[in-house]
Amino acid sequence: MSGQLTSVLRSLVFVLFALLLCSAIFQTSGFSAVQVLNSIAEGAFLRPNAAAQSLRWGLPLFITAVGVAISFRAGYFNIGAQGQFYIGSIAAAICAEVLTGAPAIIVIPACFIAGMAGGAFWALWPGLLRIRSGTDEVITTLMGNFLASLLLIYVTSGPLKDPSGSGQQASSRPLDSSYRISDSLGVSPVIVTTALVTGLAMWLLVNRSAFGVLAGLAGRNGQMIRWLGAKQWQLGLASFLISGALAGLAGTLEFMGPNGRISSGFLPAHGFTAILIALVANTSVIGTAVASLFFGGLASAALYLPIMVGLPASAIDIINAAIALFITAKSAFVDRLLRVGRRDHG
Amino acid sequence: MTRQSSVPALSCSAVTVRYGPVTAIAGLSIEFAPDLIHAVVGQNGAGKTTFARVAAGLVRPEHGQITVNGRPLPTGSVPKARAAGVELVHQSFALPPSFTIAEAMEFGSTRPGGIFSARSLARRWKSHLRDLDISADPNSRIRDLPIEIQQGVEIARALVTESKLLILDEPTAVLSPSGIELLFDRIRRLKSMGVTVVLILHKIREVLAVADTVTVLRGGKHVAGPLPCTELESASLARLIIGDGTTVREGGDIKALTGAGAPESFERTAVPMTETPARTTAPLLEIRTVSTAPDSEGPPLSQIDVSLQPGEILGVAGVEGNGQRTLVRAIAGHADLISGTILFSGADVTRENLTERRRQGLRIIPFERNTEGLSLTSSLWENWSSGALLQGSLLRYVRPAQMRASCDTTLSRWDVLYHDCRQSAGSLSGGNAQKLILAREIDDEARLIVAAQPGRGLDVGATAFVWDALRSARDRGCGVLLISSDLDELFDISDRVLVMLSGRSVGEYSAPYDLQAIGAAMTGANQ
Repeated sequence: MSGQLTSVLRSLVFVLFALLLCSAIFQTSGFSAVQVLNSIAEGAFLRPNAAAQSLRWGLPLFITAVGVAISFRAGYFNIGAQGQFYIGSIAAAICAEVLTGAPAIIVIPACFIAGMAGGAFWALWPGLLRIRSGTDEVITTLMGNFLASLLLIYVTSGPLKDPSGSGQQASSRPLDSSYRISDSLGVSPVIVTTALVTGLAMWLLVNRSAFGVLAGLAGRNGQMIRWLGAKQWQLGLASFLISGALAGLAGTLEFMGPNGRISSGFLPAHGFTAILIALVANTSVIGTAVASLFFGGLASAALYLPIMVGLPASAIDIINAAIALFITAKSAFVDRLLRVGRRDHG
Repeated sequence: MTRQSSVPALSCSAVTVRYGPVTAIAGLSIEFAPDLIHAVVGQNGAGKTTFARVAAGLVRPEHGQITVNGRPLPTGSVPKARAAGVELVHQSFALPPSFTIAEAMEFGSTRPGGIFSARSLARRWKSHLRDLDISADPNSRIRDLPIEIQQGVEIARALVTESKLLILDEPTAVLSPSGIELLFDRIRRLKSMGVTVVLILHKIREVLAVADTVTVLRGGKHVAGPLPCTELESASLARLIIGDGTTVREGGDIKALTGAGAPESFERTAVPMTETPARTTAPLLEIRTVSTAPDSEGPPLSQIDVSLQPGEILGVAGVEGNGQRTLVRAIAGHADLISGTILFSGADVTRENLTERRRQGLRIIPFERNTEGLSLTSSLWENWSSGALLQGSLLRYVRPAQMRASCDTTLSRWDVLYHDCRQSAGSLSGGNAQKLILAREIDDEARLIVAAQPGRGLDVGATAFVWDALRSARDRGCGVLLISSDLDELFDISDRVLVMLSGRSVGEYSAPYDLQAIGAAMTGANQ
């Protein structure tokens, strides 16, 4: 536990460093850093309804991030959460379209399953390429993100297009209100329960199953576990698929909950923030939950900043980027990222 | 030997190279006379390749000097070494496979570049190849060439400059016997052209066939030479390579461990529990005429037979790199068998995977403690429990607290020194790390224990601990296959010793061990 505690503290220190750096940036750009930080705190946690708003962003982020954390643990650097999130939402939207008219008790679970299957599928092919031919999953999952974005544009401006749409942003037809799992606020019993069940299941898987211990070992030294008879690729691929399925599940929640439809390029930073959360949490499930609430808060503050201090919402991206910088600088995962660059040189 | 008096073609004095904490060569001083073929021999880890890399400017030594033809050579610079006429042909070929021969030659030449067509390149290098008697089209691609021609091209590449000193690092390792003959002819030709050749070899037969002098390295130190080959016989050379003279024991482990005692007295100290295990029962491990497909991890096995009884320690001797690793991989089910069968207690397990083999009692102490035996960044309890966790459903419920408690109990029984079983395995000393592996692998269900170099890199106390552990497993009725390059270790605790050479078993010996015979078998001197 002491090891876990120090890693949590270390992450906190890095987040503080990042906030300090951003304060300096805001200050030199002519804003009052104190005022900016104050309104972030207010927007995220202090103002009325802030907690609900932070949960609205934090819960889907948590579901995606806990999946990313599981693939990181097993040694797979799945940075395709964004694409898996999109494909999951597309699969759920198609499922809802096909089943239109059926009772909600059938449609909602079916969409959940379709969304998870879609996300898992978007992790399956990079996983197979990695196992079969050693193709770097960093590259394939990254490319998968672009493909998924294009596919999203296609379905929202083609087969699922909302004919009454304004034309500014291609969107699917809105989901029938009887199938919605939350209003646009995005916090409902179904969503909260889904997040809790996911969190509990993943905590048990990581901390209380043979799979969790072995996948952790496989991620750190696959060779060693191979000499004990493990099929490293099985452990890795299973983790990878879980990771994709959870991103797909988050996509489903966004579609059936607060958004009520899918639109081209919606929530473009979701998967990347989830990666950041997994890194900040050092891949621990509980750490992921805490970090998700924090980043959910930042996301909700992003909408509040322009009103309060006249900063664009993308100021939050600067904070996220600064945190990413500090976290990855200390993380062993930097090595994995560098691997891609190193290949070019030699 | 009048030439000996002239200026040496290559001399190094007091060269020391360290890789981190490992000393690859220590205070090495050798002089090679010009216009001769010199062999450098020694076991793996003797420092031969490091020596070659220092001479070629690839490695900058910590101390020491290199002179070529009497002129000092600045160390650690390949261009300067090449300018002085020193060329190295690597153990694994280094030519770009997608290049044509002519392109590879041009690539290796030091002439200033320019614009040229494929045809002009081919014309330029055709005569060079002809001079060296290499019959290949300069326009064919490296990857399409047979291995002997590839090596010829490697040598030709090394000679594109006016090289006066050619170093070949284990050039015979990849060649067939006829390829070796061809290579030796080429080398003699080079000698007649006035090139000094330094050959790194490890087979005595080959040394005596081609070299004029031989130099022996052991453990990064200079042992003997350059000795003229005409005055040498294979048995004495084998002894120099293996280093019996000083490290022989009479009785007790301590002498074996410290290397005290007199030669020619190989009384085995270990007494097996049963004189002859019941031969009517099936052997614990039986490997029948197993051959494996070649792969990147070492020489394949070729028609090897091994049989191990319960309650027996079978030692596997051999110069490193003669298929020992493949043997262990084959027993683990990790090698690609092209023929033969592997049986555990009479049951065919050739098609079973390692998990199933482990269920039947196979345990392995792998060659590389820190990469194959342990996950250094994981905790002690995770490392310890992984073997058991893999036997059973991946989704079953486990209690880490309980596993940590039983890990603590086991590790203290094995005398592992540690603070908390949540500390990382990388924080243990080598001896304690090996004990952790023993604690995992020698459990109550273990029946067949494969120990690969279990004493490597350990201090005297830890080595003795490992030996005792293997002996007591043997005394409980386990079969132990002990792979080691330390003959003292093998002689001290093995009931029988099998010698491997080039993926084959070339002899089996029992106590009292005849070092001369085993040494000769290891190096192929008796063939």
